[in-house]
Amino acid sequence: MTQAIEIHNLSFSYEPQLPVLKVADLTIPRKTMTLLYGPSGSGKSTLLKILAGLLPKYGGQLDPGSEISLKATEAAMMFQDPSLQFAMDTPWHEAEFALENLQIPPVEMPARIQAAFATVEISHLAHRQFATLSGGEKQRAALAVIIAMQKPVILLDEPFASLDPVNRKRLLQQLQTQVEAGKTVIIADHDLSNYQAVNPNVIQFGTDHQTQVLTSQAVRQLLVAANQQPVIPAKPAAQFPAILTGTNLKITQPNQVLIDQAHFQLPANQISLLTGESGSGKSTLLKVLAKLGTYQGSLLYAGQELRKYSARRWGRKCGLVFQHAADQFLNVTVAEELALSQKQGRHPYFTPANLQNALTKLGLAALTDRVVYSLSGGQQKKLQILVMLMMGQPLLLLDEPFTGLDAKSAQAIRELIDACQATAPATILVVSHQLNGLADWVDCHFKLQNQHLVDRGEVLA
Amino acid sequence: MNPSLKLALVLLISLEVSFTQKLGINLILIMIGLILILKTRPSGLTLVRLIAIPAIPAATLAITIGAFSPGHDWFFAAVLASRIYVYVCLGSAVTLATTPLELARSLEQNCHLSAKFAYGTLAAINLVPRIISAVKTIRAAGQMRGLTLSFWSPQLYFKAILSALTWSDQVAQAMESHGFVDDQARTTAHQIRITAWDWVILVVSLALVQGGLIVLP
Repeated sequence: MTQAIEIHNLSFSYEPQLPVLKVADLTIPRKTMTLLYGPSGSGKSTLLKILAGLLPKYGGQLDPGSEISLKATEAAMMFQDPSLQFAMDTPWHEAEFALENLQIPPVEMPARIQAAFATVEISHLAHRQFATLSGGEKQRAALAVIIAMQKPVILLDEPFASLDPVNRKRLLQQLQTQVEAGKTVIIADHDLSNYQAVNPNVIQFGTDHQTQVLTSQAVRQLLVAANQQPVIPAKPAAQFPAILTGTNLKITQPNQVLIDQAHFQLPANQISLLTGESGSGKSTLLKVLAKLGTYQGSLLYAGQELRKYSARRWGRKCGLVFQHAADQFLNVTVAEELALSQKQGRHPYFTPANLQNALTKLGLAALTDRVVYSLSGGQQKKLQILVMLMMGQPLLLLDEPFTGLDAKSAQAIRELIDACQATAPATILVVSHQLNGLADWVDCHFKLQNQHLVDRGEVLA
Repeated sequence: MNPSLKLALVLLISLEVSFTQKLGINLILIMIGLILILKTRPSGLTLVRLIAIPAIPAATLAITIGAFSPGHDWFFAAVLASRIYVYVCLGSAVTLATTPLELARSLEQNCHLSAKFAYGTLAAINLVPRIISAVKTIRAAGQMRGLTLSFWSPQLYFKAILSALTWSDQVAQAMESHGFVDDQARTTAHQIRITAWDWVILVVSLALVQGGLIVLP
């Protein structure tokens, strides 16, 4: 139990001869926090799923010579997408289900669940339906269930992807308490901000499918660099002509008013950033703008009320890049997805040469025969953004476009959007927790707080 | 009443009603069903749906038998129409008064149904809201790519089936990640008991239905 987790000669592949993860020798010390860090598609999630015993059971092959000194029953894993981890209807029922499976005596359950929920500060959400929770709230609920299970090893796959910095710090602190209580915490993350306070071991995953344990000095450098929170300089939205105007706008959810605002305007043909705490209603606002939700009051696009547009007409005006990349795809292979956007899309930038160039820059050029659902999370994200950019709607909404992307891929996406904007400018609204690299990219910045969209732009002297 | 016994009672009564032609007992069962439904304080819309939607098959059946069959047997027509309402009212009385979780727990504990089946089905039921929103999302995704996916569009169903396939895998992974192992013993957070009172209700109800079937027209 007490010795470290040892991995030897591990090789995992989905297709024969094409390993997606190779680990020659790796030692993960117990009772510490270890961070698996690397670009998207480098095999971090795969390693976690192997440790949790979900792979190769649910796909792929593990090389027969692979050795892992960890029993899958010792570990509890939290998925990248928390909404995929719930089989019950509320957090409380889910926790009960998990403890029943672990054969915990029923009398011990309430106290154990309450303690875990209190640790993650979601006691007030215990009996809410999952469908009414925001992405960040679901993530905390998923963590609470994992903590209630009290396994010696906790595996987390991108646990903070939909959390704002405040909640991120809070959760990290809570994980640190778990480590102090003798748990082994292994986290896969591509974003290192806020980790400095907890001082983890870092294992770097390369694109060549190799892993490397970083020295403490290299770790410190990485963490310090990641911690520098960028300041986002932005211009006031009012200095641009408005394309979308909200008056007495009210957006509600069961039990909650998300937005209640007398006046709001979105500047035409600029890139606007929308930030705010998790659960504040950013995704819901985008859904309303895409006509996937309802609103009270008035929302005028180019002088016409949004609810008067037919779904078909609005689809030509407004594109939404969903938070879940897989939701966007309508076909099977990468080539078919690209063909559909080439046929239906109208963006003048995407000439065959420019498209090929974009595919190369995004690292998708060699993947055209792949089934879209077999791509890594990051590759799906890049393809998703590309096929939506090709459509060329004058209003483009992006919900967490940088989730699961490493710094280089995120930069490539921003450059592609810039190139599109230079050819034919569109109004772009980006929701993102990930602020690195956005400083010189966005024109305007709104923050959703206290049910208001506050313009953070300042007139620079 | 215990959810499994409640379900068994309703199934037994429905089966009996299917093989008899008694209008009186049907009307009494509909009344009892409605009272049980009203006790759960359903929304007005639910009530209207419960009454209006079965009216279509009920009326069709009644008119076919009464007006177009050789005997013009309007009594038999009324029996068939009321039978549809018996099924709907008794069925709704069970589903409105029992959550799927209670039923799954009861089936697992009282009927010793395999936990995999009970919780797998429950997980599928809990997916329903996600299925509805997924269909909306797929149609919007199509709309934004210049495709109008109607409700009979093969592409919509292809994508929906694809989502269902991934979900079934994901539900299995979700259950496993929370410690579920097939055929392994589990404890129960909430004991669902079958009390003597449950048996009394079951036996007395069945006896009353038998009596009604003999005495009433």
